[in-house]
Amino acid sequence: MPLDHRRVRGPEESQPPELWAGVAEQEEEEEGAAPRDPYALRPLFARAGLLSQAEGSAYVELGGGTKVLCAAWGPREAAEPGAPAEGGRLLCEFRRAPFAGRGARCRPGSAAEREAEREAAAALREALEPAVRLARYPRARLTVSALLLQDGGSALAAAISGAALALADAGVEMYDVAVGCALCRAPGPAGAWLLQPGEAEERRAAGRLTLALLPALNQVSAVLGSGEGRLPKAWAQALRLGLDGCHRLYPVLRQSLLRAARRRGATAAT
Amino acid sequence: QPLSPCLLGERLCSAEEATAGTGTYTRHGFIFSSLAGCVEKTNEDGGLPVVSVMRDAESQLLPDVGAVVTCKVCSINSRFAKVHILYIGSVPLKSAFRGTIRREDIRATEKDKVEVYKSFRPGDIVLAKVISLGDAQSNYLLSTAENELGVVVARSEAGVQMVPISWCEMQCPRTHTKDFRKVARVQPQFLQT
Repeated sequence: MPLDHRRVRGPEESQPPELWAGVAEQEEEEEGAAPRDPYALRPLFARAGLLSQAEGSAYVELGGGTKVLCAAWGPREAAEPGAPAEGGRLLCEFRRAPFAGRGARCRPGSAAEREAEREAAAALREALEPAVRLARYPRARLTVSALLLQDGGSALAAAISGAALALADAGVEMYDVAVGCALCRAPGPAGAWLLQPGEAEERRAAGRLTLALLPALNQVSAVLGSGEGRLPKAWAQALRLGLDGCHRLYPVLRQSLLRAARRRGATAAT
Repeated sequence: QPLSPCLLGERLCSAEEATAGTGTYTRHGFIFSSLAGCVEKTNEDGGLPVVSVMRDAESQLLPDVGAVVTCKVCSINSRFAKVHILYIGSVPLKSAFRGTIRREDIRATEKDKVEVYKSFRPGDIVLAKVISLGDAQSNYLLSTAENELGVVVARSEAGVQMVPISWCEMQCPRTHTKDFRKVARVQPQFLQT
């Protein structure tokens, strides 16, 4: 054949890259099999009041790489005519950044992705609606949106906490800051429930649970789960574990609100 | 009185010691804060002190029944005028709410002889009172059926701000043409005599 100068000539033999990728993953899994403390909470960083273009905003980061950025807007006129007369509406939006997951996306913009985002938004709404005093905002619309920047496990729980912080930062009247906590159960008959799973643990898990709690009123606002559990006793123990985790995370979130209020007061004074 | 900062959901005091003001709610016999801001305790002469929580920024108000609002007329019809609510009292709103002034709510007397075209025009600034939050399909219902409510600022066809002559007429200072409007009576504290 005459030389084809328009094409780059590759090697005669080529092999798929998964040959080498598979070896590395196996090593990772063997290391991760070491047992971890089921009560250990990942370090949480929360900061409220960082966006200038939104009325309220919050950034929540869990140690190990789950980062969520939330923004909230105060009462606006309800656009659709079908708004309920008593109490306003809470509109939630959940978006995953294109770079959020490890590895390649299956197909960017596919229907499955949008469906997962819509489900997560409905879960956010279910968790936040009991916390907001909607009766104080008749015929108004409150909007909160969460953007997942990096998914390192327990993403929905971090989004719930971040969205509640953003709403509180926007000055919306709430009963309490909703705290989210995730749990997962390792596969196998002896799988125990772990608090705040990491990415690898969540992928391998047989059952996943996300709890949202209003600690000051000791009221659970949402229990979202999927997978298979074993005994009802195990579920009850998982719930208690999750509630305990929520109570431990609560002071951190409240402190971030207080610091944001002080920062706002300092900038207003100057 | 010194203002102490308080956290959201913080238990302030029991419901027997004080009454709940704005920014608080009562649960299980205790008063909790529903905003992250500063606690204020005002002593009322007849009764318990009122505990309320204020945030530094202006609290986001919603038009309430009986509030006097400042609005701008965006379109008129033979039956009603559609307005954008801009201010509640003296607090500007971040986003405009829509309201409606029906023909029978423009004036208190001779309601059937009212012509909307002779009371408002698009672009007028109007002081009105909220009479109803409206049901699911309609906007806020407003009324100008008082002497102190009605058109405050209006521009003539020449583009000049008009001067009120009487309760139903305004005159352009440049072309001296008179236009019909339902004019708001200036309150005596704002008149210089």
